[in-house]
Formats: sequence, C-alpha cells, structure tokens
Amino acid sequence: MTSLASRLKGRSELGVAALLGAVGALVLIDAARLVVPYSQSDPVGPKTLPIIVGGLLLVCAVLLAVNVLRGGRGEAEAGEDVDLTHPSDWKTVLPLAGAFIANILLIDWAGWVISGTVLFWGSVWALGSRHYVRDGLISLALALLTFYGFYLGLGIALPAGLLEGIL
Amino acid sequence: MDVLSSLMDGFATALTPMNLLYALIGVILGTAVGVLPGIGPAMTVALLLPVATVLEPTSAFIMFAGIYYGGMFGGSTTSILLNTPGESSSVITAIEGNLMAKAGKAAQALATAAIGSFVAGAIGTSLLVVFAPIVVQFAVSLGAPSYFAIMVLALLAVTAVLGSSKLRGFASLGLGLAIGLVGLDFVSGQARLTFGLPLLSDGLDVVVIAVAIFAVGEALWVAAHLRRTPLQIIPVGRPWMGKEDWKRSWKPWLRGTAFGFPFGALPAGGAEIPTFLSYVTEKRLSKHPEEFGKGAIEGVAGPEAANNAAAAGTLTPMLALGLPTNATAAVMLAAFTQFGIQPGPLLFQNEGPLVWALIASLFIGNFLLLLVNLPLAPVWAKLLQLPRPYLYAGILFFATLGAYSVNLQAFDLMLLLVLGALGFMMRRYGLPVLPLILGVILGPRLEKQLRQALQLSAGDVSGLWSEPIAVVVYVIVALVLLWPLAARLWRARRPRTGGLVVADGPAVDGPAGPAAAPSVEAPAVEGRPVDGSAAEAPADRGPDAGRHRADAHANHGQEKS
Amino acid sequence: MSIIVGYIPTAEGTAALDRAITEAQKSQSRLVIINSSRGDAIVDKRYAQAEDISSLTERLDREGIEHLVLQPVRGNDAANEVLEAAEKYRAELIVIGLRRRTPVGKLIMGSAAQQILLEASCPVLAVKASA
Repeated sequence: MTSLASRLKGRSELGVAALLGAVGALVLIDAARLVVPYSQSDPVGPKTLPIIVGGLLLVCAVLLAVNVLRGGRGEAEAGEDVDLTHPSDWKTVLPLAGAFIANILLIDWAGWVISGTVLFWGSVWALGSRHYVRDGLISLALALLTFYGFYLGLGIALPAGLLEGIL
Repeated sequence: MDVLSSLMDGFATALTPMNLLYALIGVILGTAVGVLPGIGPAMTVALLLPVATVLEPTSAFIMFAGIYYGGMFGGSTTSILLNTPGESSSVITAIEGNLMAKAGKAAQALATAAIGSFVAGAIGTSLLVVFAPIVVQFAVSLGAPSYFAIMVLALLAVTAVLGSSKLRGFASLGLGLAIGLVGLDFVSGQARLTFGLPLLSDGLDVVVIAVAIFAVGEALWVAAHLRRTPLQIIPVGRPWMGKEDWKRSWKPWLRGTAFGFPFGALPAGGAEIPTFLSYVTEKRLSKHPEEFGKGAIEGVAGPEAANNAAAAGTLTPMLALGLPTNATAAVMLAAFTQFGIQPGPLLFQNEGPLVWALIASLFIGNFLLLLVNLPLAPVWAKLLQLPRPYLYAGILFFATLGAYSVNLQAFDLMLLLVLGALGFMMRRYGLPVLPLILGVILGPRLEKQLRQALQLSAGDVSGLWSEPIAVVVYVIVALVLLWPLAARLWRARRPRTGGLVVADGPAVDGPAGPAAAPSVEAPAVEGRPVDGSAAEAPADRGPDAGRHRADAHANHGQEKS
Repeated sequence: MSIIVGYIPTAEGTAALDRAITEAQKSQSRLVIINSSRGDAIVDKRYAQAEDISSLTERLDREGIEHLVLQPVRGNDAANEVLEAAEKYRAELIVIGLRRRTPVGKLIMGSAAQQILLEASCPVLAVKASA
C-alpha cells in the first residue's frame, strides 16, 4: 500500500483521467437511453456519435491514467504573464471565484450595478490591490457605465434589481 | 473577372464611414490586446461576441478582422520590447528582436516588424483573394462524404500535430465533442446530455463556451501564477529604418510571406513552423550570418512576415471551407453561427457581400495598422504599466457581462464558472484548448455530414469513401497519424540525421528557437536566452525540461488567447 | 544606525539619493537604499533596472559609503517598504523625494510621502527635485 500511496503522491493529474472517465461514462449512459427509431432516412441515428465520443473519452482516460502513473506529466500552459516557478496560488484564485459566485447570486436580486461592483471590487482585491476607495469608485463607475451603455447603446436591459426606479 | 468586381463592391461597403470606424476600433483594440500580455485576439473576439450581435454582421466582422490583424502587430511590439512572446509563433521575433532592441536598435526592429507585417498582410490577403474562390469552386462540388473526411482531417490535424501531447489533445477533443452533443438531436429531436434541464435543450451557447474557456479560464490561470517581478522594458522612440535596413529587410519580408501563407492555409500548418523556416533561411542567405543571435534585422523581418502571412493564410480554409485552424479563427467561426450564418463553401455564395467586405477590410485594416503603429509605438508601450489587478478583474467583469447579456439568465453564469474551471484545469494539466473549441464547433457539423453521407448510401459504411476526394483525404489522415511513428523509426535507424535539423536551428547560436518544429512534435519549450547566451534547446522533451528557467514558452502550438 | 532612502529612478528620486549620500558622509552611517515595486504591473518604471543599480553601487563604492540596496517586490506599497526597512535597520533618518501632486490626485492615489511622514518614528527629510 505504501508504494501505491507514494505513486499517487503528486499525481493530481489522475483527477483529470477520472474526470475524462466520468464524462465518458456519462455520455455512454446517456446514449444508452436514446431510442433509435428505424429510419431509412437516418441510418446513423442519434446514438452513434455519442458512443464514439464516450468511447474516445474512456480510452483517453485509461491511457492518461497509465501515462501519469508511468511518470508522464502535462505541461502547464505558459504565457506572457504567467510565472510557473511557483505553484498555483489558491489565495488568489479562491477569492476570485468567490467574487464570481457572489455576482451570480446577486445579479438577479440586487441587479447588475450592485453585483457588478461587487464582482470587480472583489476581483481587484483578490488580485492584490489594496486601494479600497479608489477601487470602489472604479468598480461603481464601471458597473454604472456598462449598465447605461448596454441600455442606451445596445438596447439590452440589464437587471436593475434593488435599485429599480433609481436608475 | 467577377472576383475583382466583388472585391470592389467589398471595398465600397468597407469604406463607408461607419465601417471604417469599426475597422479603426478593431485595429486599435487588436493592437492594445496584442501588446497586453495575458489577453489576445481570440479572447477579445470572444468577449465582444455578445455585444457584436446587435451590430450589422458586416460591421462586426470588419471589427473582428481588425482585431485579428491588430493582435499580430501588437504582439510583435511586446516581443521586441520585453522579450515575452505571447504566441509560439512570435518566439523568434522575441529573441532576435529583443536582442536588436538591447543593442540600441529598437526603433529599427519595430519598424521592420511593422512594415514587414504590412507587406506580408497585403500579399497574404491578395493570395486569399486569389485562392479562396478557387478552393470554394472545388469545394462546392464535394458531397457529404468528402466533407466529413475533410472535417475529420481538420480535427485530427489540429489535435495530433499541434500541441506537445497527442493523448492530451485527444482528451481535449473528446471533451469538446461531448459539450457539442448537449441539446436536442437535430434529426430525432431527442434530448442528449441535458439531464432533464430545459435550459440545456438548445445546447450550450457557443458564446458562453468561448468566453468561459478563453477569458475566464485564462484569467483564473494567470491569476494563479501572477508574475510578480516587473520586467525590463527597453525605451523606444518612434520606429524608423535607414536605407541599409530597407535593403536588408525587403527580401526577408517576401521570403517570409512565401513561407507563411501556405502553412497558414494548411489545416494544421500553424505559424511557428514557417517562422522557424524563415529564420533558418535568412540566416543561411544573410551576408551577416555572424549577427544572427545578436540581433540581425533579417531575423526579425523574415519571421515576422511569415507570422502575418500565416495569419492571412488561416483565413482561406476558414472562409472557403468553414474550417478554423487557430483559436481566433475558431471564435470568428462561432461568430458566424451566432449571426445565423452557415459557414462552409456556400458562404461565398450566400453571404458574398459580407465576405468580400470582410476581405476588403483586411486590406484596409492592414493599412490602418501601419498608420497607427509606426507613430504610436511608445504609446502602446505605456499600456504595459496598467496594474494587473485591473486588467484581469476587467477580463472577468466583461466576460460575466457578455455571457449574461446573451440570454439574461444567471444560469449561463454558472456554466461560465464551471467551464471556466474546466479551462483552468486544462491549462494546469497541459490539455490544449484549441481541440476542445474545434470539437464544440465542428462536432455538430461533423455529425450532420456523417448522417447525410450514410443516408445517401442507405447505411452502407462504404458510403464514407464513395468519393475520390474522400479517399485522398483519408490517406492524408493516415499519414498525419502515422507520420510521427514513421519519423521515430526513421530517426531510430539514423540517429544523427534527426539531430541535424535541430543543429541547423537557432538553438545552437544563442536564441533557442522552436528547434523541434520540423519534427512533427510541435515546439516544446522555447527557452529564453539569458542575456543572449545559449538557452536550453528543446531537443530533450523531458517533462520539466527547461520549464522553470525559461520565461517564454510555446503555448502548445496555440496562439495566445 | 543607518539612513534609509526611498529611491526611484526619477528627478525627485535622484535628488533624495544625492541628499542621502551627503547625509551618510556627514554622519558616517550606513546607507540603505529602498527601491520597491508592488510588482502588479507588467512594467514598473519606478523599479530601477540592473544597469541603474550597478552604476549606483559603483558610485557608492567610489565614495566609500557603506551601503545596502534593497529591491523588495512583495506587493507592498513603497511607503510600507520604507517604513519597514526603517524599523528593521534602526534608521536615524529617512530621506524621501517629493513630487507635485494635485489635491484631487492625492485624494485618489494617496500619498506615500504623507504616510511616511505620519508613521515614521525617526526624523524624515523630504527633498524636492531641483527644478
């Protein structure tokens, strides 16, 4: 067991294989439920592609798992502004996702101006800016500007929410 | 010839003040996002998709064309001044151009890159005008079996040839195809992968997927690995070139264009191989080979022209066949469907005025870029002082806004988050995103062609190769798939020969270029030269080879999104 | 004991440095030069580049001043970095450069100089760029 444990250590990529496998299984299970009416005009039917795709995903899942256990590793994507010398910084990503979720929860109830302000302010904070007042002003300005820009310029009425009647 | 008159009509449309304005907006936006790291033309077009739907399709595409070409121009500015190539195709520009800039020739490097891009863009677009109608003429005669074969080729080529790991490429393709399956089956009307959610029965909105993968996924990924050290920027004045520089530049421009266009037009040609070939050629032909690796102007002029010509080449299969071969083209194709326009060989027929206006706007945009870029390079460089929190928060903000405004439902934002997390995970574990997006876009069309092809043959599988073109394409597919195997065998038998190609590359003389490019495995790790001295050559493809020291890497054969 | 100087490669930064060197010669103290960046922009012009720093250290060597050059990039504001260094190196004096700010600009951006003046526990010498 210890050897298994040591092999699993640092192999978080197995999670990707598991995800691929799960999606593949899901696609196949879903395909199995489909009814194939006999039809002259559609000999392929709705099942064929899902079965191929599900199969492809399962094969990829197995091969990836084998590849990872043998020491293979996916190269993390580099970029102009990416520094791969330190590990993923969850202290930035999680608050960022938090701001994003806050926006989802708020947008229909409180309206875009409030939720958008929260989103931008929260994101900027998560990314390390500490100019609370300046950031707050910028966030509010952006949210207001896009609200009216979309309404007047594009004819799209974003939800006003709590501020209904004020805006 | 009616191509010419169509093109003239296109110019008439593109030159209206309103469309000129959109071209200018596109060009400026494109250059800006090209200059800014972490945001590229594919992401920008994706972010603008929802907004653009209220515009005239023609105006929207004129703007997108400006962004596409502008991104290339802007990218070279950053590469030269900062040595941080955003795309694998600008690695060589970054190396040689940055060395030129360090040697006090930043103005000349920027000038030769900009003018070379202009020349290549103009010639490349002209070639597009010539070839696209020919391809269309050939393509309209094809039936469903040939189409199916060509789509399979495009998918496999992008999946198997680009990117460093084929296995991960196929995994990404599978995920994309699975996402493409969601919704009602178009023949039988049965719901597939909707899990009983009525919101899913129309399928996932391509806009939401594109924004999630390119914008949200990328922003989260960059946020997790924010570079904290300020980079050194080389101060510039206005780009200019002397007589000697012109003399040394014009031939590399033309040769680079000749390399770039055909590679761009191929389903998996990409832009990094021609830039590399151009670099090697220029080095061999140059009267000043000793300057290569120390900042030779030919080494900037040629690859930069090749890069832009490839960008023009990419538009040939995109417009003529509806096959995108890079991320920006894929998102632009998604834009066609968003406007209810069916991409494919009938595009020229059904949407002639739009396509020709788009092509005319490429000429105009290219010219505007020259006007905007030469005098304004120092201004663009100032953009780099924008604090990152605002940049990435802004991306998330506009991604949310765009995805929400399509249907005004919070459900789309949940999808955005889930798919954004998927995009993050893919970047973390080296799954290339291009096959996924192609799978989403081409998957449903592929299925349609498959069902049509077999309908014609009444279910007989041999119907798939009932057309000669289909057979030819399957042979090419087989070659694409078997080539790496054959190459490995060949190399195993003659171990030195494989290495020769690498030795020819710039890797030996200083800048480590994509020396692995000619072998089918796409460039792996492009090392950034430390003060112009030799950096690690990517010949060793160990999991971590050079990863941690190198600042500039290939993006799995994709452009910066 | 040491003298802390907040340095940026601009006119006022150079003025502060010049004055700090004079002070350090006078009191025979160690000179601690702080050139920080929040590191949140791709390019930060206030972050001195390697050539600048090496010519600076050469000059200090020539003039025989004991010195320490720090370039922290930790996401902190310049004022915090200077104050922290003042604490750590038991500063007898902080030298900073002043630039002109409009009242509105100060309201929005805040002022590093003001923060240092208010929070430092040692004397602060503020220098303007010679016009």
